[in-house]
Amino acid sequence: MLDYYNVLDLLSSEERQVQSVVRDFLDSEILPHVADWWEKAEFPTHLITKFGEMGLLGANLPAEYGCPQVNNMTYGLIMYELERVDSGFRSFAGVQSALAMYPIYKYGSEDQKKSYLPNMAAGLTIGCFGLTEHEGGSDPDQMKTTARKVGESYLINGSKMWITNGSIADIAIVWAKDEDQIVRGFIVPTDTPGFTANKIQRKMSMRNSITSELIFDDVEIPVTNILPQAKGLSAPLACLTQARFGIAWGSMGVLESVYSDALSFSNIRSTFDKPIASRQLVQDKLVDMVVDHTKGLLLATRLAQLKDAGKMQYQHVSVAKRENARSALNGARSAREILGGSGITLDYSVIRHMLNMETVDTYEGTHDIHTLVIGRDITGQNALV
Amino acid sequence: MNIVVCVKQVMDPDTPISAFVIDEVEKKVVPAQGIPPVVNGYCENAVEAALQIKAQEGGEGTITILSLGTDFVMDVMKKPLSMGADKMILIQDEHVAELDAAGIVNVLSAAINKIPDVDLVLCGQQASDWDNAHIPMGIAENLNLPCITSALNIEHTGDKLLVQSALPDGYQTLEAPVQSLITVNNLFGEPRYPTLKGIMQASRKSPEIWSISDLGVSSSELEPFLILSELKIPVSEGNCEIIEGEDDADSGRLLALKLREEKII
Repeated sequence: MLDYYNVLDLLSSEERQVQSVVRDFLDSEILPHVADWWEKAEFPTHLITKFGEMGLLGANLPAEYGCPQVNNMTYGLIMYELERVDSGFRSFAGVQSALAMYPIYKYGSEDQKKSYLPNMAAGLTIGCFGLTEHEGGSDPDQMKTTARKVGESYLINGSKMWITNGSIADIAIVWAKDEDQIVRGFIVPTDTPGFTANKIQRKMSMRNSITSELIFDDVEIPVTNILPQAKGLSAPLACLTQARFGIAWGSMGVLESVYSDALSFSNIRSTFDKPIASRQLVQDKLVDMVVDHTKGLLLATRLAQLKDAGKMQYQHVSVAKRENARSALNGARSAREILGGSGITLDYSVIRHMLNMETVDTYEGTHDIHTLVIGRDITGQNALV
Repeated sequence: MNIVVCVKQVMDPDTPISAFVIDEVEKKVVPAQGIPPVVNGYCENAVEAALQIKAQEGGEGTITILSLGTDFVMDVMKKPLSMGADKMILIQDEHVAELDAAGIVNVLSAAINKIPDVDLVLCGQQASDWDNAHIPMGIAENLNLPCITSALNIEHTGDKLLVQSALPDGYQTLEAPVQSLITVNNLFGEPRYPTLKGIMQASRKSPEIWSISDLGVSSSELEPFLILSELKIPVSEGNCEIIEGEDDADSGRLLALKLREEKII
């Protein structure tokens, strides 16, 4: 692991072991194939149960629901390693863990937790999270999807957009407004009549992640499928805070990957009889990358310490997601530049990561939205409305 | 069945050659900066074999990891526990650096004798640092155990073991008593990855730390037979010769002839 400031020395032996084991696993099982899957826009669904066996799904949730119950530092390290390989894999595991399992754990009934979480941890049940709609993601309160109570059922109507795992999910955590205009969360089995998932095609980013449109046409689910503790928009936003925590870590995995490619390439590639690594302008880019990685890793590590201590606030997560996603995007662009023409092929990781990071910088709160969240916190003035 | 698996911490064999440094005066390999050691690959195969035997027995028995060294990196050495082994004994002693293979065999044999009710001893066939393959057979000789090398499969049937042992052009199946020593290499199959649950469970297990003086080994048994008189990195020379023929096929034919001439093929 790239660790210019010996940050790993701050971690426990178990945390370092998990990082090392997950890296070995991903380097063997995914890395040799990832560019092909990306090019073909395929997600290797056969690996999902392997992720489950390793304990990579819902890793920080309690053991009583079949999860490894590691701390948040360890969870962050897992996200780092997954995204070092490709953002699509962090996205898959992040959605399953933070956006499908976490809402059931946090807002679900005991029956719901026992019924869903063990199979989700094992990778036998796949989840997705339906909040964003066609009109935009930055203002989720404008959602049009409704849930109308009819007897002992709810009828869900509407649609969701940009839903990771949507077309491979067995259940969708769907956020809809009830007749009192209160946002509620529902566990929707995807084989329910009236539910349709359309895979979004022609993506030039996150190509090995499944992204879908979800359509609900009088989807009838029993009242027992409502998440009883989730009332209001704060519930899905709290789930997003969990997922953004993973992105803050994962982005630094991307930065390590593109930096490593750029460093090794610049030591091999020569111009005017000297390796380009000896050129000041190339060194400037490499230094920016390694300094940004060092800062981002420290930011993510401190964020995990705060989360493990129960002191993390959503604005802390905004700082780390905003900074780390952007610095990884910039680092990927710089690495692409250092690699020259080679940087546009899938033989190296940089173009894949660079295109993926356009998504990561945008979703789970854009850079600008996080700026305004932090701005609201430090000034007391809300520029979001 | 109670199984002891001998495990060695070694320098990462994937260490880049540029980071491989020796101290010619001290006649020692200098640990590579920033590259942690690893559990010897064949030893991981031996741990996997032990776990499979234990699973055959319905989870009965104990797998004890035994290792000898001057200094251990616990992040690394706990891997067999994270894979599912039950206990770990580390013989940590600065005098290990002075031992030759015979001394190491004597120390490990004494340690195995000290562990109660050992049935089977498993070892990696050889360690990737020096590749001597001396230790397993030395232990078998010392403990008067039958020794089977390069196991492909180990099955416990009644009071016997049926062991498939690799040959250059196939395998043989051997019957052996349970009290045996078996060596394992990569042919046994991929060792499992530790799971997160395994790592968390291993975090609650503390290795027992022994020293050589705990084992009642006499000083004469530690006296080296072999003296390391010189340690050098071989000098490698590169040379490039272009083989040119009348066409591609002729070039290929001439290349093959050249390779045969050089005894490469």
